[in-house]
Amino acid sequence: MKRTYLGEFEEIVLLTVVALEGNAYGVALTHYITEQTGRSARLNQVHAALHRLEEKGMVTSCLGEATAERGGRRKRLFTITAYGEQTLLDIQAVRSQLINQLPRTLKPSLNL
Amino acid sequence: MKNFKNSPQPPRWADRLLAWFCAPHLLEELLGDLHEEFLYQVNQVGEKKARWRYIREVLGFIRPFAMKRKPSSFTLHNNPNINTLFPNYMLKNYLVIAWRNIWRHKGYTTINGLGLAVAFCICVFLFLIAYLQLTFDSFHPNKDRIYQAYLFANDPEKMTRSGSLPLPLSPSLKSEYDEVEASTRILSTRKSTVAYADKYLDQDVVLTDADFLKIFNFPLVKGNRNTALANVSSMVINQDLAQALFGHEDPLGKTVQHIQEGRKKTYLITGVLANAPTNSSIRFEALIRIENAPFYQSDQNNWTAFSHKVFVKLKPEVSQAAFEKKLSYFTQNYFAATLQDLKAKGAKPDEQGQIFALRLQSLPKVHFDTALSNGPPLAIIYVLLGIGLFIMIIASINFINLSIARSFTRAKEVGVRKYLGALKSQLFVQIYLESALICFFGLLLGALLAYLLLPEFNATFNTRLTLGHLLQPGFLAFIGGMFLVVTLIAGGYPAWLMAKFNAVAVLKGKISLKRPGFLRNSLLVTQFALSCLLTCCTLIALQQVDYLRQKPLGFEKEQLISIPVGNQVNGRQVLARLRQKLASDPCIRAVTGSNINLGKGKDNVSSRTTIGFTYQGQDIQTDWVGVDYDYLKTLQIPLINGREFEVSYAADSVNRVIITESLAEQMGEKQALGKFLDINGQKQQIIGIIPDFNLYSAAAEKRPITLHLSASEPINYLLVRVSPQSLKTAMNKMHKLWRELAPGTEFTGSFMEENIDAWYQEEEKMAQICSLASGIAIALSVSGLFAVALLVMEQRTKEIGIRKVLGAQVSDILFILSKDFVRLVILALLLAMPLAWFLMHQWLNQYAYRITINPLIFLGVGTAAILLTLVTVGFQSVKAAVQNPVKSLKTE
Repeated sequence: MKRTYLGEFEEIVLLTVVALEGNAYGVALTHYITEQTGRSARLNQVHAALHRLEEKGMVTSCLGEATAERGGRRKRLFTITAYGEQTLLDIQAVRSQLINQLPRTLKPSLNL
Repeated sequence: MKNFKNSPQPPRWADRLLAWFCAPHLLEELLGDLHEEFLYQVNQVGEKKARWRYIREVLGFIRPFAMKRKPSSFTLHNNPNINTLFPNYMLKNYLVIAWRNIWRHKGYTTINGLGLAVAFCICVFLFLIAYLQLTFDSFHPNKDRIYQAYLFANDPEKMTRSGSLPLPLSPSLKSEYDEVEASTRILSTRKSTVAYADKYLDQDVVLTDADFLKIFNFPLVKGNRNTALANVSSMVINQDLAQALFGHEDPLGKTVQHIQEGRKKTYLITGVLANAPTNSSIRFEALIRIENAPFYQSDQNNWTAFSHKVFVKLKPEVSQAAFEKKLSYFTQNYFAATLQDLKAKGAKPDEQGQIFALRLQSLPKVHFDTALSNGPPLAIIYVLLGIGLFIMIIASINFINLSIARSFTRAKEVGVRKYLGALKSQLFVQIYLESALICFFGLLLGALLAYLLLPEFNATFNTRLTLGHLLQPGFLAFIGGMFLVVTLIAGGYPAWLMAKFNAVAVLKGKISLKRPGFLRNSLLVTQFALSCLLTCCTLIALQQVDYLRQKPLGFEKEQLISIPVGNQVNGRQVLARLRQKLASDPCIRAVTGSNINLGKGKDNVSSRTTIGFTYQGQDIQTDWVGVDYDYLKTLQIPLINGREFEVSYAADSVNRVIITESLAEQMGEKQALGKFLDINGQKQQIIGIIPDFNLYSAAAEKRPITLHLSASEPINYLLVRVSPQSLKTAMNKMHKLWRELAPGTEFTGSFMEENIDAWYQEEEKMAQICSLASGIAIALSVSGLFAVALLVMEQRTKEIGIRKVLGAQVSDILFILSKDFVRLVILALLLAMPLAWFLMHQWLNQYAYRITINPLIFLGVGTAAILLTLVTVGFQSVKAAVQNPVKSLKTE
């Protein structure tokens, strides 16, 4: 099986880009990640991840329109590429394959 | 919509920090996200915390992806450890290439280097003269508070300003005005003799007040500044005189004799002052108190006898304008009669509301004030600076033109270097270094030339420049600045041009090598226009000086010897004995004496006495000249009416005068002969009328002159007319005779013709400098043209070959090649000539007698310029045209 190079945080960011389809830019992604995962993501981390993803060809970006709360500055909107989607699916496949091959089912921790 | 302008803002410095380190293409979106997040945080956690978080976020962006990056890390140039402008591994190569280039193109280097050297040398001289003149008197630390006083009169005929003031003025000024810190009179007389032991030296002894030492800051080498001139019989001398009189002995406490016009007085030396620098208006060899002046007793309270200069030093807080205003009471008080006279004549107040006033000229400006000193007019200094600048511009233009022209032949080298990866900046530095090297050698050579020519220059132009003047810091800084500017422009422009070449185009041979370019043409035109301008102006100035010299003066200046008598002997006695000795000499036509010289003799003294009197209600001013018998005969001035002074009329030596035509005219008398002039209460009868003649320079208008004969007045000059056959022998004879008549005194006789020429020394000197400068300018321009022509021929060799193969004659090719250059020169002439006409018209206006500008001058200069161009270009063209075309075409 072909290896895909995607870090864990990158994977989350990439998934968020898909989730926020059409409105995926720095601040929105950060807030969404914080809300959904409960981990505190910071702008610079998100931007760094987006940058890496773009270099790897998982996302493309274009400049969107300006809004007033940004002091008239434009936002960069990210969309996932086909290669990005394929990567996500590959990861998913590897995971499920591994889980399925487990000798026993995983038990959730006792959280009663 | 919310007003975001009033909403909280993140810290500006953090934004600026981000902008500094962040890659520019990311900045907008990052700042936008950051600001949006900040507003969100403000709502969530408050402004203060939000600001902290904002800063933390910004700092968080200091990561590789967001940072500014060098374009690529692969090339050598981006290694921060290697200096790209002066890479040490290339520097040696640059120097080698530069040296080879200089060596291979010897002609080019010589023209450039030598041209710069000559231009630099003459610039050093011209700028040095100007610098010394402009810094005149600036060595006095309190120069801003020192003023020369002068009287201003808005006479309806002519506004006058005079620095000659009456004796009581300075003491009154000092006692009546608190603003005056010190005030001194300065009376310069003709040279008088200072004697010690057996030494008799003719010196400039200046009569002054004790305040002299408080006003002027000549360092006192020996003695006490406060008491040196306290005594009427004290004398302060300068270092030169101390050395000449006493050698190594201590001058303080020694007594010397001062002999002036036969009177002797003993003085005690109380101080030694440093020699005044060359650029001081105040010159002296010895100082004594003004109370020793012969007329002091009779004139010390006389407000109408004007004799000396007055300098004042105002207190620091006093402004000149306010003080001058206060002085109007002073003039109303002491010059009431003059004021009355002027008002009666119908004088109007000037723009300051004054008809007659005592005013001040600040010391640094005195030198250029033609009414108060005999310094050159300021305009001349600017002319010198302008000429120097012109020459430097011409030399720089040569440099630029040649470098640009040659740059095309170097295009291949530049192309290859670029292809191999040379940066624009590296190419620039390489080519610039090469130019700077030539500039540097040129300037070094120029400095050497200046040093070697300094004595020659001093002798020719009667200046006293020394190496010390050259090394003054201000001047050195100026020269250094000039060097920088010249190399920057002359070396920098071509270097920039070449560095800009498109490497691919050059290697493909697509750079146009043939079109001369607009810039080069305009530079050539500028160069020629400047040289033509200088030449035209010089020729016109020379004509004017010649005209003044040739102009009849009203007396015969040829075959006339003038001998200054000096101080040690009595002129009247010497004259009497001379008459006796020469009575039967066939070589001598006539002998006479006078109290003033005509022209400027070897004693370099010129003095003038004018007298004013009223004749039937008319105010008349006249020159008052003391003469001896045979004056008219010796000078060969004809009589219009009456007779000359004669020994047989006893009254002739008491109260008889001879006047000039214009004086008779001013008196309003048709028959002035026999009338009486009332001069200082004495009636003087007119016994003769003569035509006007020039006592002073022919450049000035003729003024009324009165000749009188008085046994009590000194005779300072002997005038001897000799026969034309024996000029040399006559002079030798006079020299021999002088030793008999006045043993121990130097013979300083000279021919009147030389003395008259000396009147025009200033004009002469200027004309000489201008001739030299325009000669150099022309030589530089022609050498530039020559070199450009040389390069053009080189570049067009192939074209010429093809033309010849197709059947062109040598004459056709000559025409084609020279017509471009001739066209440029004609354009330059058209620019230069109207300007020259205008400038010289202005200059000539200052002369009472002047030439009209001859259009033939322009025609001559124009023809000469075109001929010179044809010869310069033609020489190259013929060489190119007669070349075998096979040779030039085969080289492809």
